[in-house]
Amino acid sequence: MSSRLPAQGVPAVSDPVRRPSRRRLLRNAMAGAGALLAAGPLSGCASPASASGASDLSVWDLFQGGDGLLMDDMIEAVSKGAGGAKGFDVDRTILDWGPSYYTKLAMSAAGGRASDVAAMHLSRLAGYAPGGLVDAFDLDLLAEHGVSEKDFTPAVWSRTRHEGTVYAIPLDVHPFIVFYDKKAAEQAGLLDTSGELAPMGSPEALLEAGKALAEATGQAGILFGHVTDTAQNWRLFAGLYAQTGAAFDLPDGGPPEIDVDAAVRVVTLMTRLFDGRTNPNNLDYNGALAAFSSGRGGMAMLGEWELPTLKKSGMELGAAPFPQVFEKPAVYTDSHSFVLPHQDSPDPARRREAHRYVAQILKQSLTWASAGHIPAYQPVLAEPEYAALEPQSSYADAAKVAVLDPPNWFAGAGSNFQNRMCQPLQSALLGNTTPEKAVRQMVREADTLLRQPNPVA
Amino acid sequence: MTTTAPLGAEEQTGSPAAEADGRRRTAPGRLRAGNGLVFVLPFLLVFGLFMVWPIVQGLWMSFTDSSLALRDTSFVGLDNYTEAFGDPDVWSSLGNTVLFTVISSVPLVLVALAMALLVHSGLAGQWAWRLSFFAPYLLPVTVVTMIWTWLYQPELGMANQLLDALGMEPVGWLSDESVAMWSVAALTVWWTVGFNFLLYLAALQSLPTTFDEAAALDGAGAWRRLWSITLPQLRRTTGLVAMLQILASLKVFDQIYILTKGGPNGSTRPVLEYVYDVGFTGYRLGYASAVSYLFFALIILVSLVQLRLFRRED
Repeated sequence: MSSRLPAQGVPAVSDPVRRPSRRRLLRNAMAGAGALLAAGPLSGCASPASASGASDLSVWDLFQGGDGLLMDDMIEAVSKGAGGAKGFDVDRTILDWGPSYYTKLAMSAAGGRASDVAAMHLSRLAGYAPGGLVDAFDLDLLAEHGVSEKDFTPAVWSRTRHEGTVYAIPLDVHPFIVFYDKKAAEQAGLLDTSGELAPMGSPEALLEAGKALAEATGQAGILFGHVTDTAQNWRLFAGLYAQTGAAFDLPDGGPPEIDVDAAVRVVTLMTRLFDGRTNPNNLDYNGALAAFSSGRGGMAMLGEWELPTLKKSGMELGAAPFPQVFEKPAVYTDSHSFVLPHQDSPDPARRREAHRYVAQILKQSLTWASAGHIPAYQPVLAEPEYAALEPQSSYADAAKVAVLDPPNWFAGAGSNFQNRMCQPLQSALLGNTTPEKAVRQMVREADTLLRQPNPVA
Repeated sequence: MTTTAPLGAEEQTGSPAAEADGRRRTAPGRLRAGNGLVFVLPFLLVFGLFMVWPIVQGLWMSFTDSSLALRDTSFVGLDNYTEAFGDPDVWSSLGNTVLFTVISSVPLVLVALAMALLVHSGLAGQWAWRLSFFAPYLLPVTVVTMIWTWLYQPELGMANQLLDALGMEPVGWLSDESVAMWSVAALTVWWTVGFNFLLYLAALQSLPTTFDEAAALDGAGAWRRLWSITLPQLRRTTGLVAMLQILASLKVFDQIYILTKGGPNGSTRPVLEYVYDVGFTGYRLGYASAVSYLFFALIILVSLVQLRLFRRED
């Protein structure tokens, strides 16, 4: 298309942000119109399934790649009518992970015609529940289908509520953990008698572990990719900060209540750990992932969702909750949850089926666990099939000490808050600024966000 | 309209006559205009719906606390503009956009000119040069950034391995705050220079050869002919290329959004990404509109300056 532009004598665009030519626009518009016409009669044909007894449900989620395929399996299982129950006719829409998903979800809910069920990171709920973008769950209805509060860990369940009402039902807990090469870790003397990563207990132990792993591999000790990433540094920081026991409170209107000394301790440890010699300090996410899976490091700090990728590497892979190095056990996590996006006039029968759908999907959690996620629905963890999952069962305890983002409208997965927190941390790790200055900038950034008018309440 | 009608040319000496004449002629004239309107109507509709209306609507929004997530909005007067003027992120991102425009536009014009001159000078295998200079322009932005993300990789990337082979220190292409924007500019030059190259090449190929031949006969050397004959003749093309390039560079967003997300530490965040961040990720459409209107004012200013420079040259 573009090559034709000069020939037309109309140099319409030479921009990096390229636009389609008018001709193509027209062609696409006509093709689009044609598709609409064709879709009319087709969508008319889509109902026979519901005529046969299955319930129509529209579902939005952000599960791509391996997660997406597993979710397909789970949806197929409940659609067929798992356990003899009535099936579903699920119209699933998969959207791209990231900030844009939450833009779309918020817009659809603000419009009042959202999907029946949607996936959401639990850390984002504070931006949705207060503004009425999600509707409350009926716990009695869920209990009828065998799902109630006691099936979840308190650390996670406490975050499903806004002003006492439950707005989200967690599917999983997905912590930020450590993966390690079992051979290297054994050589470095980091394993306990059962062959699992031994507790560390102090910052010095973590630093020593890095050195020992570097010696064992002859290359890098601990790998961590953070450059240009908008979440990794925050995940690492938030987990370690929570281990100090200090509070990270962001009251509306500011100022932020952050323990600066504790934060500086954490950032100092991060800069000492990733010193650019023992452990590289300048890797980006994919670079670190590639380096670890090709055996150029003994340990990697990553989200457990990288498990399927790492399993393919062929190394003897171990995993553990993020080691406790400060005073308190804590692991930074988030949780994929189900919400009922706001509908202006929900069909009560459909709403009931949405509850039943969520309950049924939770019971398929074992499938979900194969990708590495820890099922939030505790009865699944007790099953022997889960205990047999390696290395998933090694880090299942992380859910008990789960720490999520502060419950503010601007925080959570894929938010500007995480991005803004990551920027000074990245500078500190790269040696462009001191831990003290980085922490001061983090407090300033949090303060700026707190002073902004809340657009969802 | 009547003054340019060829038939009325000799009748325009007496003004009353011309006026009467003009009145007589409006009927068919209007008819012709009416016919034209039918042809431009589809375009006008689309233009009005997708360009004019959003511009007006956006201006209105910039005076409200409009939120992406709420339906009720209220008028807040100039609050958004006051906040924007006091928001250091607005100014730093505007500064980044201007920096990118300067460091990308200059090479995008000069390199394109150099490449076009080289190809035009009669290098063997013209098609191969044309293809290789233009090919990157055909790649989608995601592919381009994917390629360059790996080139810029600190450990595995080609850029640092080259430096290493030359015995030089590795560079944090995307992680060093003082380097990152230059890395983005380098990517952009590689990606889009082909278009400017084609514009220059087309202009070169349509230049009359007479002056050049005459100068050669008079004994002017190749450099002399380039400076005194070819480049002055290319002046209008250079003006066009520069104008299009500056406007295009001011609009930078996508490659930065994919490559660095505005990092490290905001050092590559262009103002359009800030608008996106506060508007779409942060839901504050009203405030985002105000920031984009500030940027709009800047673009108008740049365009006016360019227009004046152009006029003067003519």
